[in-house]
Amino acid sequence: MAVAAPAHANYHDHIHPEPTNFVQKYIFSLDHKIIGIQYFITTFIFYCIAGLLAEVIRVQLLHPTGGFVSNEVYNQVYSVHGSAMVWLVIIPMLTGGFGNFVMPLMIGARDVAFPWLNMASFWMFPVAGALLFSSFLVGAPEAGWTEYPPISLQGPPGTSLWCMAIFLVGVSSTLTGINFLVTIMKMRAPGMTLTRMPLFVWAQLATAMLSMVATTALAGALLALFLERTFGVPFYDPSKGGSPLLWQHMFWFYSHPAVYIMILPAFGIVSEILPTFTRKPLFGYKAVAFSSVGIALVGFMVWAHHMFTSGMVPWLTLPFMILTFFVAVPTGVKVLAWIATLWGGRIRFTAAMLFSLGLIATFTLGGITGVFLAAVPADLHEHGTYFVVAHFHYVLFGGSVFGIFAGMYFWWPKMTGKLMSERLAVAHFWATFIGFNLTFFPMHWLGLMGMPRRVPIYDQQFQSLNVLASIGSFILALSTLLFFANVAYSLTKGKKASSDPWGARTLEWMISSPPPYYNFKKIPSVLALPYDFGEPLPYVGGDLIRPNPQSKFAGE
Amino acid sequence: MAKQFAPKKGIGPGFWPVTVLLTALSVAWVVWLGRTDFATFLPEAAVPADQIDSLFKMLAQMGGVVFIFVFGFLIYLSFAYRVRSGDDVHAIGVQMHDAPSLELGFWIVPTIMVCFISWVSVQIWYGLQQSPGNALTVEAVGHQFFYDFRYPTLWKPVSQELHLPLNEPVTVKVTSSDVIHGFWAPEIRLKADMVPGLVNTLRFTPTRPGTYRIVCTEFCGVAHGSMIGKIVIEPKATFKSWLAAQAHAEGPAPVVAAAAPMVANATHPGGGSAAVAPVAQGDATAGKVVFAAHCSSCHSVGGFDEKLVGPGLGHLLNDPAHPALVTGEKASAAAIAHILHTGYTGPIGMMPNQQQNAISEADIANLTAYLVSLSK
Ligand code: HEC
Ligand SMILES: [Cu+2]
Ligand SMILES: [Cu+2]
Repeated sequence: MAVAAPAHANYHDHIHPEPTNFVQKYIFSLDHKIIGIQYFITTFIFYCIAGLLAEVIRVQLLHPTGGFVSNEVYNQVYSVHGSAMVWLVIIPMLTGGFGNFVMPLMIGARDVAFPWLNMASFWMFPVAGALLFSSFLVGAPEAGWTEYPPISLQGPPGTSLWCMAIFLVGVSSTLTGINFLVTIMKMRAPGMTLTRMPLFVWAQLATAMLSMVATTALAGALLALFLERTFGVPFYDPSKGGSPLLWQHMFWFYSHPAVYIMILPAFGIVSEILPTFTRKPLFGYKAVAFSSVGIALVGFMVWAHHMFTSGMVPWLTLPFMILTFFVAVPTGVKVLAWIATLWGGRIRFTAAMLFSLGLIATFTLGGITGVFLAAVPADLHEHGTYFVVAHFHYVLFGGSVFGIFAGMYFWWPKMTGKLMSERLAVAHFWATFIGFNLTFFPMHWLGLMGMPRRVPIYDQQFQSLNVLASIGSFILALSTLLFFANVAYSLTKGKKASSDPWGARTLEWMISSPPPYYNFKKIPSVLALPYDFGEPLPYVGGDLIRPNPQSKFAGE
Repeated sequence: MAKQFAPKKGIGPGFWPVTVLLTALSVAWVVWLGRTDFATFLPEAAVPADQIDSLFKMLAQMGGVVFIFVFGFLIYLSFAYRVRSGDDVHAIGVQMHDAPSLELGFWIVPTIMVCFISWVSVQIWYGLQQSPGNALTVEAVGHQFFYDFRYPTLWKPVSQELHLPLNEPVTVKVTSSDVIHGFWAPEIRLKADMVPGLVNTLRFTPTRPGTYRIVCTEFCGVAHGSMIGKIVIEPKATFKSWLAAQAHAEGPAPVVAAAAPMVANATHPGGGSAAVAPVAQGDATAGKVVFAAHCSSCHSVGGFDEKLVGPGLGHLLNDPAHPALVTGEKASAAAIAHILHTGYTGPIGMMPNQQQNAISEADIANLTAYLVSLSK
């Protein structure tokens, strides 16, 4: 990209040559597909580190008096675990990873709108990860991923590194949000109207809007925390006239929408996988598409449901409670639409499909407990306990992470040109599903019976369920190894994937696996939604590889 | 062209039997839960606990029904419409995009449920706002890592134990002296954050005598996990005599001390040997009890290096590596008592003073005797 090219007049015919040197091609790449894969590699490394931290928590909690690590280390471990999983794993994997790799292909674009910005956003991640994990060297943050002041003002020096790391992540995801929004609005193939966009693209659109607006609040809050810790500017310390609740409002103004940043793309993934493996269109396309946007909008007006016990005028809790309840409506519509999609389908239980079905089951449970937590009087009992821990793991693991694995198995052949072992993948699903429920289901009960979160020791009566949870978490950890074994197997011995191994119909499957540089030499025109199985493909023009309808199905 | 698969007739095999089964399961769940008394799992020790449990029960009934149907249909439809071996590989599903009436139902049913839940929740919320609470007002103050309770008739706070009279409406006003703590009484089902600079209010009427936990639910530092207090609910007469005994133990309220600011370590130039009050004869066994309530969140009784927040206190007088106390004074009973009076802030952290630790003169004597006894 050395010379600025003035002759972009005819966009469709102008293709930059593929860079030939290694650094430009694989390291500082501008190609959305390479950047997407870079996100995957980095975030999976972070996933392993943060997962190991979770195991430290579970080993400590095997015994009521703890003893595996000191209290300080324990506090640092769960704080970094939570922060890393949210900001360094789930968000970047779903937006940076899947969004980057899949979304431009799906809309028939050659890249995102701002490739340089895209590269810059990516490179903030390894830096943020290094900052966050290196905080262990100087004393990592101890006050949980929420870092409420005033305790976080007294936290170890690593807390400031945490501020910087999360700030960087915030900048990165804001930029990605802008980038994706422009890409989706401006770069769709001709004929792809908004209501012909695949559902995954709808989800990315809603997510991009959320990231752009919400993340700025977090950035402001973090900056203030950093200034107060470093220079004593009294934003939050009440003894100097600051307000601890200010942080909570700013933090949750971001972090509640962040929940949707973490779940909507996973919903999008499921909404692509279900039609493919039921061989029928998704039930209620428009309802599902608009419910994403609806969730995103209402999601901005519910943040204080995390603060019912923090202290606010009692009547103010009511609008937050009721609006939160109403998030259940568009969410419920999605779940029901997925279930209706199963009816009359020809269902194939590939690993991607199993993870999607698993998501529907576990996420539904997480959604239901969400309603329990939104009801103010009930929340007075549940807030700050293991019930909450159970709830958000059902949403973020049972929802987001299941969605991530579903998407990985689905698009892996497209990314690498190789198939994975379906058998191993199905084993991975069952181990994950069982390990997950064993780990987190007992926590509902623990919380209701009186176990608070963020404790390194606990009352004797809670031991047996904690041991059960720990055993579950060991299964969960081992199950992850099956995934990596599959990755290794596929890369070395995996069968070559055709352009469309699953018989899916969105645009990314109409080009070779892996896709060529610049994706579509000629941009196709789109005539209709992609999900009408049995009909001819709704694309004209372009240099598409039309799958042979008689070709064998990869999952067999 | 691929063959479109179509169910043999109507809505497909097994649909109605499954629906009936799931309905039966739902009814069973709702009835069973309705007849379950949550107090058998966790006692209901005060009045709004029953209302909160009833809301929880309603949510669990509805949530359970939703889950039974979602999960039931998920499993049933997956199995009913799975591709069986021998099926045409290229068959496709029913090409249905939408069914407007069904989709309308998908919007309406959740909306009705949500309206219902909102209505019930607001009612119960309103009930909570109406709880009377003016018979007795107690202030609860969170500290790292213990609770203090201030009664209107006592000039010194009572530490860690909140005594409440049975069947008298109480108001507990909670706040904090340092960072945010949580005040959660699981058996009362109520919780409020203790936020420095802010007072939050809880109102309830104890209805069941007994001793219950107060649990800290906001991370507050290294000993957060052991920040657990006690609620003692007792008959009014017992409560009155307890309160009187507390007042008696304090002696007459000092004229100045009540108004005096909590002077921490400022009065104590580190290492200086200020005039040390003579150490009264203490009782080591009583000291051990006080230690467990006030000190063990920060101190172990192991060697100096077995630190929690502060150093281990097991060998104050016979540790050759630490002949002096952290203040620089030579280790002695008098020097220990001095630290307990004045507190001390050094490189390890902040040792609270007498007021902050909420210990009496007698406690100090007993603690000193106990700590000395450990070094033997
Ligand atoms: C909030 C935590 C905290 C609590 C509660 C606390 N201490 Fe301390 N204590 C400390 C710290 C920190 C130090 C060390 C101060 C320094 O040197 O930096 C200390 C020092 C001491 C020392 C001096 C130890 C030495 O080796 O010189 C004694 C004695 C002591 N505390 C006794 C007590 C007793 C008795 C209680 C209970 C009434 C108590 N402490 C409660 C934090 C605490
Ligand atoms: Cu929220
Ligand atoms: Cu605490």
